[in-house]
Formats: sequence, C-alpha cells, structure tokens
Amino acid sequence: MIEIKDLYVKLGNFVLRINSLTIHENEYLVVMGPSGVGKTVFLHTLAGFIKPKRGVIKYNNIDLTMEPPEKRGFAIIPQDYGLFPHMTVYENIAFGLVIRKTDRRKIDELVKKYAEIMEITHLLNRKPNTLSGGEKQRVALARALIIKPRIILLDEPFSNLDPILRVKMIEFLKKLRRQLRFTAIHVTHDIIEALELADRIAYIHEGELKGVFTPLEFINTPYAKPYMNELALVYKRLKQLGIHDISIII
Amino acid sequence: MLKIEKFLLTLAIIASLGILFVLAPIIALFIAVDPNTLYKTWFADPLLSSQARDALLLTLEAAFASSLVLTIIGIPLSYFLTRYSFRGKNIVEAIIDIPLMIPHAVAGIMIMLAYSRRGLLGPLLSLTGIRIEDSFWGIVATMMFVSFPIMIDTLKLGYLNIDESIELVARSMGASRLNTFVKITLPLLVPSIVAGFLLSWARAVSEVGAILIVAYYPKSINILVFEWFNTYGLKYAVSLSFVLVLFSLVVFILLKTVVRK
Repeated sequence: MIEIKDLYVKLGNFVLRINSLTIHENEYLVVMGPSGVGKTVFLHTLAGFIKPKRGVIKYNNIDLTMEPPEKRGFAIIPQDYGLFPHMTVYENIAFGLVIRKTDRRKIDELVKKYAEIMEITHLLNRKPNTLSGGEKQRVALARALIIKPRIILLDEPFSNLDPILRVKMIEFLKKLRRQLRFTAIHVTHDIIEALELADRIAYIHEGELKGVFTPLEFINTPYAKPYMNELALVYKRLKQLGIHDISIII
Repeated sequence: MLKIEKFLLTLAIIASLGILFVLAPIIALFIAVDPNTLYKTWFADPLLSSQARDALLLTLEAAFASSLVLTIIGIPLSYFLTRYSFRGKNIVEAIIDIPLMIPHAVAGIMIMLAYSRRGLLGPLLSLTGIRIEDSFWGIVATMMFVSFPIMIDTLKLGYLNIDESIELVARSMGASRLNTFVKITLPLLVPSIVAGFLLSWARAVSEVGAILIVAYYPKSINILVFEWFNTYGLKYAVSLSFVLVLFSLVVFILLKTVVRK
C-alpha cells in the first residue's frame, strides 16, 4: 500500500499539492486531468526524480520520501517508452535483473517468460528503433514488470499510438492485469483509457488533487463533464447518421 | 517542376563554389609539392628527415595527449553543464569558450602568465616537476587550452542528444547514478567522445601562434613549417605541409564516418 500525505512540490512558479492519497495493493489508479496540471510532475515525484518541499510518500509504512529512485522499487514507463536504444529488446527487458546481479540462467528464463506473456518473443534480438509503437510499449511493460516493482508508473502510455493500436493495448493491459496482478498509476487525459482500466480515478487540476473516485462516481462529477461532452458529441453524430444501436457497428 | 530544378541548380552552384573555395588551396598545395624535395625532406636527407619526422611525431603525440586529457576532463564537466542547473553556469560556459575568441598569441601569453615558472600557478606546477616553457608539456598545455571549447561543446551536444528520460527509467529500474552513467549514458556518448577527440586533436595539430610563445622547442611540425618557410623557402615548407594536410584529411574522413554511424 502506498500512502501520500501532505505532498507539496514546487518547481519554479508551478505548485503541486496532494493532501492525501492511498493506492492499495494490486490497484490500478488512473490519474486524470488536463495537460499541464502536474500529472507528470506527480509521477516524477513518486519515482524520486523530483524532491518534494514537504510531505511523505510511504510504501507499507516505510518512508520513501527522500530515497533515491533506485531504492524505491517504482518502475516508470515514460510517454516515449524510454527504451535503451543501444540495447536489443532482450537486453532491455533483462536490464533490471542484470542490475540486481541475478543469475544469468534465471535472467534468460525470466526474459523468455515475460517475452512470451507480452507476445514479443520474435522481437528479442531486435533493436528498439526497428519496433512499432505497440511493440515498444510491450517491451517497456516487460522490462518494468520483470523486476516485480512495488508499483508501475505509466505516463500517458498510449498517447503515441493510433486509435486501433490504442484499443488493442487497452485490452492487452486488462488481460495482463488479470494474469500478473500488479499495482499501477496510469496518467492520462483520455476518458476511455480511464474508464476501461481504472479501479479508481484521481483527478488533478491546477496542481491540486481534487478527489479520488470510482469510474461511476467520476462520470457524475463536474470534472468529467468536458470528457463526457466529447463522448456525447460522437454519440450525437452517430444518431444523426441513423445509428441508434451502437452494438451494430462494434 | 522547372522552378524547383532552377532552385536546386542555384543551390548546387552556391554549394560548389563553397567547396571549391576550400578545395582550391588543397589542390594548389598538392600541385606545389615537388616529389624530389618531398623525398629528400622525409627520407633522403638525414638531417632534414630526422627533424621532420621528430617534429611530426612530437605534434601527433602532444595532440594525442592533449585530447586524451581533455576527454577525461570533458566527460564529467559536460555532464554537469548539461544535466544540472546551477548559479553561475552561464559564466562557466563563457569561460570555457574564451579560447575560441582570443588571438592565438594572446592565448600563449595567458598560458605563460598562468603556468610558467614565474606564473601564477608556476610554483605549484614546479612541485610536480612539470615545466611548461619550451617543453613537451608546454605544447600539450597550449593545445589543451585552444582545443578545450571544441571538446566541451562536442560532448555537451552529445549529452543533449541522449534522451534524459531513459536515464530516469534506468534509475527507476534499480540502477544507481553510476550504473546508469556507465551502462546507459556512456555507451550512447561514444560517438560524441570519438568526434570530440578527433576534432580537438585536429585543432591541437593546427595550432602555431600560442605554441610559438609557450614552447618554440622542442619543435612541433607547425613551428617547423614556419621555420623552414623562412629558412629554406616555400618548397620545403610545402613538403611538410603536404603530409600534415594528408593526415588531417584522413582524420576528418574518419570523423565523418563515425558521426554518420
């Protein structure tokens, strides 16, 4: 369980405040909010790249606030996936285990296992610059999950994918969660991702956590209105086109 | 279609004139080489050839030592300058670029004022047994001074081209700052290190003005070109220059190949 209390981060003129937030074991928390409200700053503070002015970040009652990133066990996947360009897919996935000086045979076994789960076994000898966006995403997930982190921090993971691939990846991530069980914080400004994946949705606006809601609660808050309007627009257009039952086009 | 072709043609003409401007002196030098004098300078005449070979070897060695020390200093310095913000960073960067802006003779005088026996840090250097006036280390120090900004700027560009987010990912995967640097940053910096090394080496090899003031002896090839031009005339100076230009060409073809990779 991760507990965040009275977190106060200041970067120049920008301020981020999280009064209280708890993320439970195996929970999938989606952090929503418009662009530039501090979602990435929040992830980077959790990961240890930004030191808060005050506040506490605890994992199972262990205070991690001042711990360096490598001691936290929080694996981050940035927007552009952050694959190591000079390493093969195999070496990328194995990286965390190599750092932990895991036995070579064990590394090989685990890399192959995770590559199979991620359906990327055929890519193991390739370099990241030869992969598609979806493939890169799977490699990044394998690399993060293989070290069994306390939490995975996903920073707008699908923003670089086309809509078809995005839907596929959402489904894949849902399947992965059922298969592997992991705790995650997923930052996005996409309502579909949030509703599809979240156990709970945390909403940040103007540098402040406004609340944490179940998906159903969230769509009834005023914060969800702009996102729901976007969905309503699509629905309205479909109706204009004579499509009243959406199931006929799915 | 015709317009585009005209546009490209204009660009090509301007570009060709530019290349011709640099190529003409090289071709002129190659034409001016007298094979007999060249042979005499580098092989036949025992006195001249030993002078020429010693000077060339000395220059190559000093430039190599200078670039090596600069690489060792440049890797951490450029890391700080690109990965951290601190008060006075602009001033530090301006100081690094000073050797680019000043006349070479002035650079020589400054080095003498700082590091010669009677210079600001001369007594300190004497304790280590290093003397810079008229010595190999004087040539190295001068070459380092004039090549410093080239090495630092090349490495800075290299660091800036490495996406910082992958360093952050490595740290979040459990790699310490040192491990991240060794396993992620440094391998990705290798092309810039090679480029910085070759560029600063080339800059060092081409230096005359400052070396004239700091270390006339032992004679480096540049000093020898200057001296032979005054003593023996153009033919002999050309024989020395020809080999230097050939070396530079090889180095830069190598550099371009590395950068392209």
